[in-house]
Amino acid sequence: MKAKEPKKRKEKRETEIPSVDEDSGNHKEPPPETAEVAETEKSPPGRTGLRASIDFKARGEPFVWIMGGALALGVLMIIGFLALVLWNGIVTFYPGPVEVVTLKNGKKIAGEPFRSESFRPSEDQLKGVDPESRRAIREADGFASRTLYRIGNFDVYNEDFKWAVAHQVAKTETPPGIFFVERREWGPFIGFIKTLTLDGRSVPGEKVSLGTLYAAHDEAVARREAVRSIEVDEIGAINYYIEEDRLALRRTELDYGKKSAEYHTEKEKFERQTKERRAGFTVLKKRIAAINEEDEKYKITLTEIGGREKQLRLSELVRIYPANDLSFFGKMGVYFSRWGEFLTDDPREANTEGGVLPAIFGTVMMTLLMVVFVAPFGVVTALYLREYAKQGTLVSIVRICVNNLAGVPSIVYGVFGLGFFAYTIGIRIDQLFYPEKLPNPTYGTGGLLWASLTLALLTVPVVIVATEEALAAVPRSMREGSLACGASKWQTIRNIVLPQAMPGIMTGLILAMARGAGEVAPLMLVGVVKLAPELPFDSFFPFLHPERSFMHLGFHIYDVGFQSRNSEAGKPMVFVTTLLLIAIIAFMNAFAIMIRNRLRRKFVEGQF
Amino acid sequence: MVSNTAVVEQEAEFETTAYHPVESELGSVIDIDEFSFWYGEKQALFGNTMKIQKELVTALIGPSGCGKSTLLRALNRMNDLIDGIRSEGKIAIEGTDIHDPRVEVIELRKRLGMVFQKPNPFPMSIFENVVYPLRVDGIRDRNLLEETCERSLRDAALWDEVSDRLQDNALGLSGGQQQRLCIARAIASEPEIILMDEPCSALDPIATARIEDLIAQLKENFSIVIVTHNMQQAARVSDNTAFMFLGRLIEYGETKKMFMNPMHVRTSDYITGRFG
Ligand SMILES: Nc1ncnc2c1ncn2[C@@H]1O[C@H](COP(=O)(O)OP(=O)(O)OP(=O)(O)O)[C@@H](O)[C@H]1O
Ligand SMILES: [Mg+2]
Repeated sequence: MKAKEPKKRKEKRETEIPSVDEDSGNHKEPPPETAEVAETEKSPPGRTGLRASIDFKARGEPFVWIMGGALALGVLMIIGFLALVLWNGIVTFYPGPVEVVTLKNGKKIAGEPFRSESFRPSEDQLKGVDPESRRAIREADGFASRTLYRIGNFDVYNEDFKWAVAHQVAKTETPPGIFFVERREWGPFIGFIKTLTLDGRSVPGEKVSLGTLYAAHDEAVARREAVRSIEVDEIGAINYYIEEDRLALRRTELDYGKKSAEYHTEKEKFERQTKERRAGFTVLKKRIAAINEEDEKYKITLTEIGGREKQLRLSELVRIYPANDLSFFGKMGVYFSRWGEFLTDDPREANTEGGVLPAIFGTVMMTLLMVVFVAPFGVVTALYLREYAKQGTLVSIVRICVNNLAGVPSIVYGVFGLGFFAYTIGIRIDQLFYPEKLPNPTYGTGGLLWASLTLALLTVPVVIVATEEALAAVPRSMREGSLACGASKWQTIRNIVLPQAMPGIMTGLILAMARGAGEVAPLMLVGVVKLAPELPFDSFFPFLHPERSFMHLGFHIYDVGFQSRNSEAGKPMVFVTTLLLIAIIAFMNAFAIMIRNRLRRKFVEGQF
Repeated sequence: MVSNTAVVEQEAEFETTAYHPVESELGSVIDIDEFSFWYGEKQALFGNTMKIQKELVTALIGPSGCGKSTLLRALNRMNDLIDGIRSEGKIAIEGTDIHDPRVEVIELRKRLGMVFQKPNPFPMSIFENVVYPLRVDGIRDRNLLEETCERSLRDAALWDEVSDRLQDNALGLSGGQQQRLCIARAIASEPEIILMDEPCSALDPIATARIEDLIAQLKENFSIVIVTHNMQQAARVSDNTAFMFLGRLIEYGETKKMFMNPMHVRTSDYITGRFG
């Protein structure tokens, strides 16, 4: 049935356009029957003959393939990258089992399996190996496999990781009762509970129920938090006020000189006040000591697989769980508690553990501040360029320069930011407004404000270009309509042009935000630090302290991944932090896009 | 047509305008005197002289590119937006020269409402569209705004259709409604003159008929200058018609006479559709 149809068409075509067929006869065609079927099924009748004769190249098919291929490759790489980050970021906090490996020489390793690989052992390494394993290795072309275990107990072993080579392993098991203990210092401990001391009374490990352990641990954590809050908030406040007083004294000294009467009265006042405030310290220290004394009574003694013991206060533990006895829900509990810690805590142990709250805070704050600077600046510049400046050579040159600014390496912006903002403007500000703090710089060094300004400078070309395009896209008829109503040029721009260009301007801001939030290099020069002592936001007037240095997720990734003691241990954190950074940028963008779409809806047909 | 242009242009040098408009009892509202206009090097208008009569409808007709829009936009100085323009001669509105340096363009434009070829409502509510000219004047008085809105919409024969949805986006209106909205906007600030540049060319016959009715009504209070390509429309709505050709005013006269027996051979050629 199907074969008949095309045949008929072919006859028809031959009579209609013979010249075309003559032409196609010159080409090396596949057997006509099958080719016909394919052609006629896709194309409308009548045109089939013509299309068959068009050169393959002229139809542009190769280019379509190249374009499609390029797109597919790009999409694939992005998906691959995202999948890698997503997968690693998501699984990192999932608690694994703890394996106990008994080696053939009798030694034991206990740890979380981290990764496995095959390697080629050297002759030296093969010396003591039994003949059977040797034969196996030879058969595998000289390859053997090994597994890296995260063994923890850094204070005992002096290493975090250990390789277990497959042919040296006698047996691997996951014994019950082994605990994975996260500590505030020295990283994790892997081992068994020997005794638990509660309120001075010891209980042997076998008799400890998880419930009592967790309850006691929660209490210990509450004590630790109480101490921390006294240290940071209350003692911090006293220190803050003493420093304020000292600065006030220094100000009088600068204003009136050291010999003046004012200085003397002020100095007496200062000494009296400081004494009173210092008295506060003693009270607080007593309270801390009391808590610590109580804390001493709650201890846990752990033994590692080799039998060595370690005694810890319960408050020194972050988390403790029986790695091999957890149900799925237990594991999920640990998983989410780790995420909670990561998102809401301060970093510990040179940033490789704990949370990234200050970095989240710094990143978001810096990006928002950057938008606050870049939006008006870029928009105003673009407005002048597009609406007021006389279009000519000069404006074209300016425009080219602005576009090329986007190609300047970002580290150069960092250098400029440091040299211009911090060391030129900042130092002036310090001399004028904070002379009492010198020689300690206030604005005369990198900080949140300067970092935001530097990034604003870095991203302003994006905003200018986007805004100019958005302005140019506002139809002439709208402007004329407004002008014909007797509106001035400025009124037209403000009432008609800007609102309509808003979605386009928002697009520019979104691009700028994404670029700015992901930038690290210039920040290292203008205010990002490994560990910021204080957040740029606190309870002391004026609450926002834009002069302070801050932490940033991008820099955190670099720091944890490449600057820490053990980059192997930092690797999972790199993925988690990357995931978080991407999520934050995506979230901010989504928010901006939402606003943009709301604006855009105004300008299309429909109601609002 | 193209081959004739050179000849025509040469002849045009010696042509004088055939001039026979109906005079309004109120006299003229716009006096155009020997007005010439250049876009950069290109001259678009050649020394035209005409008096536009008060509270009558004046239609501008002529083949495409003859300078109708240029002349119309010269009246409220919309051409000022274009770089490199130059003009000679005088245009006076109620006696004041619009090119006088003491004249504020903004004030001038408030006296001449303008309606464009394509409806161009702003992406705001219907209400805000109509009161836009008052808003730019800084008027905040809610009662006044509402009164003006209703009056303008009634005058523009749109009130009945939109009175219950004044806060809706104007872009949701139909093309004809949008154009009437633009007319409402043009008359909201109570100008003396309304300029219309092919106001019906984007509309269907029914919407066109409505606008034409509207023009007839608006004539009571406003002087109207309308550019149109539609001979029938010019004949229907206007009192006087000006025929332009290659930047020159060829004939300016009473519409009826001009369509019945034009004085100029070019006019009759154009009207009968022999060229253009
Ligand atoms: N912005 C401009 N720059 C340069 N030349 C222009 C400009 N606007 C119009 N012109 C020229 O001026 C002449 C008159 O144009 P105008 O727009 O007044 O014609 P028109 O009679 O309105 O034509 P149409 O009926 O097609 O609208 C034309 O030759 C046109 O090319
Ligand atoms: Mg025109």
